[in-house]
Amino acid sequence: MQSQTPLPDFIASLFDMIPGVSGDSQLVFIVSALIAGTIVGSLMLTQTALVIWAKRKITAAFTDRIAINRVGPAGLLIIPADALRLLSKELIVPEGVDRPAWDLAPLVLASSALLGFAVIPMGSLLGIDFQVADPETGLAYVFATASIASIGLVMAGYASNNKYSFLGGLRAVAQNLAYEIPLILTGMSVVLFAGTLQTSEIVAAQSETLFSLGAVAIPSWYAFVNPFAFVLFLVANLAEVGRNPFDIPEAPTEIVAGYQTEYSSVYFVLMYLGEFIHIFLGGAIIATIFLGGPAGPVLPGLVWFLIKIWGVFLFTQWARSAVPRVRIDQLIEIGWKGMLVLSFANLLLTAVIVGVIV
Amino acid sequence: MSNPWIAIGALALVGVVIPLSMMVVSMLLRPSVPEQGKRATYESGEIPTGSSQKIRFNIQYYMVALLFVVFDIETVLIFPWTVIYQDAVSAIGIGPALYPMLAFLGILIVGLAWAWRNGAVQWITSPRASSRAVEQQ
Repeated sequence: MQSQTPLPDFIASLFDMIPGVSGDSQLVFIVSALIAGTIVGSLMLTQTALVIWAKRKITAAFTDRIAINRVGPAGLLIIPADALRLLSKELIVPEGVDRPAWDLAPLVLASSALLGFAVIPMGSLLGIDFQVADPETGLAYVFATASIASIGLVMAGYASNNKYSFLGGLRAVAQNLAYEIPLILTGMSVVLFAGTLQTSEIVAAQSETLFSLGAVAIPSWYAFVNPFAFVLFLVANLAEVGRNPFDIPEAPTEIVAGYQTEYSSVYFVLMYLGEFIHIFLGGAIIATIFLGGPAGPVLPGLVWFLIKIWGVFLFTQWARSAVPRVRIDQLIEIGWKGMLVLSFANLLLTAVIVGVIV
Repeated sequence: MSNPWIAIGALALVGVVIPLSMMVVSMLLRPSVPEQGKRATYESGEIPTGSSQKIRFNIQYYMVALLFVVFDIETVLIFPWTVIYQDAVSAIGIGPALYPMLAFLGILIVGLAWAWRNGAVQWITSPRASSRAVEQQ
C-alpha cells in the first residue's frame, strides 16, 4: 500500500515549504483542511455533473433511444447549459409551506451526502492520497452521515404542504428505516473480518492474496470472501439511495415526484445533486468495504476508485431500467421479513466462521 | 497526524458553503414573476383542499418507525463487539466471545418474531380496500 498521509496533512506539508510558515500550526492545518475539503468536494460534484449526463445516456441506451446529442460532443455541453438553465429558473414558493424547513431540506440533502466522503480512502494519484480524514471510527461515521439524508427527505415531504410530497416523505422514511438495519448489520460482518472501523485499515486488510489462479493473484476483497454479504449490501444500498426496485418514495406514476414535487429552480438542483451524490456515497462505501477501495493493477488508485463507484452507479441504473417497482407493502415485507433475517443470519454465520479460523 | 475531526469539520463547512453559494448565484440570476394561482400546490390539476400536514395516514409508518428505534440501538451495541471480536476469540476462545452476543441477538429475534406475529411488519390495508380485493376475485 502507499504511504497513508491524509490530504490535509499533505497540503500542510506544502505550506511548510514556504519560508516563515510552520506546517505544524493549527491555523495552517485548518486552512489545509479547507483546501482538501474543496478539492474532494469539487471532485465529487464534477462526478455528479457527469453522472446526470451519463444517466440520460444510459437510460436511453436501455430503452433504445439516442438521448442528448446536439449540444457539444455526445451532448456533453448539456451539463453547463442545464446548470445555468436550472439556476436561472424562477423559484416558486407554494402557498402554506413550512418556511425554514422547506428551505433547509435541499441544503441538508446536498451537504449530508458530501459529508460522508470525508473518511473514504479514494486512493492516490501522483503520490497524493485523496482522503480528507482517517478517524478510528470511520465506518460508523460514514453510516451515520449517510442516514442524515432521511431527515432532509422528511423535512421536504412535511414542509411542502402537498399531499404527494407528504406521502413521498413518509414512504422515504419507512424505506430508509427498513433497509438501514440490514445495511449496517451487513457492513458489520465485514468489520468482523477486518477487526477495525478505520477505513484505511479495512482497505489494507483486503490487499492480501486470497488465492492464486495461475499467475493472477485474487486479492481478498470482502466481495470475494463473503459474496452473500456483498449481495445483501448491494440490495440494501439500492433501497437506501431509492432506486428501482425500491423507488417508491418518488414513484412518478403514483405520487408525481414524492418529496420533491414542490421544489423548483436551485432547490430542485440541490435535491437532485444530493440524490446523485448519495448514490456515489453508496458506491464509495461498497468500494471501500467490499471491493478493496482504490486497489487495482496498473492504473493509479484514484482512477480505480472512480471506476468502482461508476460501476456501482451503472448497476443502479441497470436496476432502474430493468426491474419493476415494488409496492409499499412488499417493500416493508422484503425489508423486515427478508433482508433483516438474512442479514442476522449473515452476521452470525460470519461470526462463527471468523471465530473458527482465527 | 493531526486531528481528523478538524478535517471533517472543514469538509462539512465546504459541503454547506457550496450549496449556499449556488443558492446565492440563483438568487442573482432568477426572475420573479408573481401570477395568479402560480403558488398553488400541485395536486394533478385539482384545486388543493385543506392542509397536507393534517391528513391521516396509515398507522403502519408509525409501527415501522417504532420497531426501527429498537433495532437501531441494537446496531450501536453490536458495533464495538464486531471490532474486538477477533482479539476476544484469540484471548478467551470462541465460546465466551460469541455466546453473550448470541443471547443478545436471540432476545432481539424473539422480539422481531413477536412483532411479526402481531402484524407490525404486515402492511395494513383498510377494510374498504380489502373488500374491494375480495370482490375482484
